[in-house]
Amino acid sequence: MKQAALSVHKLNVSVRSASGTVNVVKSVSFDLAAGEVLALVGESGCGKTKTAEAIMRLIPHDIGQAQADTIELNGVNLEALPEKRMRDIRGRKISMVFQEPLTALDPVFTIGSQLSSVYRRHRGQSKRKARASSVDMLDRVGIADSRRIMKTYPHQLSGGMRQRVMVSMAMACQPRVLIADEPTTALDVTTQAQVLSQLVGLGHESGTSILLITHDLGIVAQYCDRAMVMLHGQIVEEAGVTELFSRPQHPYTRELLAACPGAAVL
Amino acid sequence: MQYALHKILHGMLLILGVTLISFMLMVWFGPDQTYTLIGKNATVEQIEEVRSQLGYDQPFLKRYTDYLVELFTLDLGASHSSGEQVGSILKRTIPVSLALMIPGFVLGNLVGIALGLVAVQHRGQWIDRLITGFSVTGMSLSFLIIIIALQVLLSTPFGVNLFPVRGWQVTGLGSYLQFVTVPTISLILVTVGYNTRFYRAVFVEESGKDHIRTARAYGASPATILWKHILKNSMIPIITRFMFSIPLVVISGSLLIESYFGIPGVGKITFDAITNGDQPVLKAVVGLTAVSFVVIQVLTDMMYKLVDPRIA
Repeated sequence: MKQAALSVHKLNVSVRSASGTVNVVKSVSFDLAAGEVLALVGESGCGKTKTAEAIMRLIPHDIGQAQADTIELNGVNLEALPEKRMRDIRGRKISMVFQEPLTALDPVFTIGSQLSSVYRRHRGQSKRKARASSVDMLDRVGIADSRRIMKTYPHQLSGGMRQRVMVSMAMACQPRVLIADEPTTALDVTTQAQVLSQLVGLGHESGTSILLITHDLGIVAQYCDRAMVMLHGQIVEEAGVTELFSRPQHPYTRELLAACPGAAVL
Repeated sequence: MQYALHKILHGMLLILGVTLISFMLMVWFGPDQTYTLIGKNATVEQIEEVRSQLGYDQPFLKRYTDYLVELFTLDLGASHSSGEQVGSILKRTIPVSLALMIPGFVLGNLVGIALGLVAVQHRGQWIDRLITGFSVTGMSLSFLIIIIALQVLLSTPFGVNLFPVRGWQVTGLGSYLQFVTVPTISLILVTVGYNTRFYRAVFVEESGKDHIRTARAYGASPATILWKHILKNSMIPIITRFMFSIPLVVISGSLLIESYFGIPGVGKITFDAITNGDQPVLKAVVGLTAVSFVVIQVLTDMMYKLVDPRIA
């Protein structure tokens, strides 16, 4: 087997709450192969987002704790890296697209400023060069008048446009791994399809592996190679997409499929 | 530009409303000078005469418009107690109060912002707890103790005895610094607890926003997040607090500081006017406070637009 782009081994996340600590992710292990699109499916609150944040090491200490045997990105154990080195990796080797693009972008900075800061931070580009790269990137995600969009603020764009901007930030440095956390849940159905095709297409072009977090089995069937089903912080089933849909093993997977009649046909 | 004009027009209407309400309150609940002026056993005619001298027999609308004209021409009549023109009283006292309050007010806010930033940067660690504890202590300490302790420490032979304990004989920069230092330090210490707690809460709120997580997910350093994202997004509450404290600090804050340091500022004048029932002075101070609130409101709205592109 090829070396995995991302390999997570026994990841646990606990979150502090008023009534004590709660384990929201329990001993999660998986491999994401190079160029693969892997789905992480489950209902809201089952620990999908916390899994993603833990891989990126984004969980603040005062909120909770993530701990894993290993989280290997391209053979480098992220768990053992000091925070300073980790910052060089975030956004460059592994990046993330968030669920709600309006709140995920900073409201008081222009799109151009936010996007080009990624090039300046990770590619060491000058202000002007970073602007040029940003315009190119916006063109690539299918934004028509990218020069004008550079000067706008997030609240002036539609949800679909905002999420395209988010995708362009995520793909700016052609990362090894992209984690997309419910990237289209906040969008209407037609825009969903466009944004997802763009995301998966760009990932394919630059050889990026994608961990696609979703609760929509239709999306899984259409865009993913494999899928993992998560329930109460544990992965209960993992299979290739065709196999998962034709021969679901776990009762929860069957329930999910039954709740989504359109997907069962695929 | 059109925005500015719109705001100014709006501000004018506000001034009319605010002055109307404050004038009504003064007429109905404010001091009535009649009986102070005429003494005991006055006849009905004498009472009527004094009332008409004071202008109390005029219809309300006439009195209100007269008041507005006085306010806008700054021709506010003479003080009942000293006979000095109100305009000249204000001209003498307002600069003193501003010179007295501005350094402490600005520094107090800056120190609060700085401590709030440090606390949020080290959130949950000992330094954050230290700052939070320090600000709670600061808030619980009575300003009486703070001011008296500072006077003892800085202005008497029990301490370093470097500064005058009270008074305001300012002739140049040197004497200004002499007289302003202790009040300034007092003001900073009295307000820093409240300021720090407020600003820390603002920064904590901002640091929990989604876009902060995004910035971290794209490799931004803690310094970038703090100085660029958190600070710029916190500008609205910072501006609001700062701007709307101005009238309060100049009137009531200076009343406090001025009375402790024996400084002849506008706060002291106001206090005397209230206790003496000196209506011309009171009317002027109340009216100008209302006007300054409205002016600050308009300025604040314009500043919001500069820091937040979402405000149209």
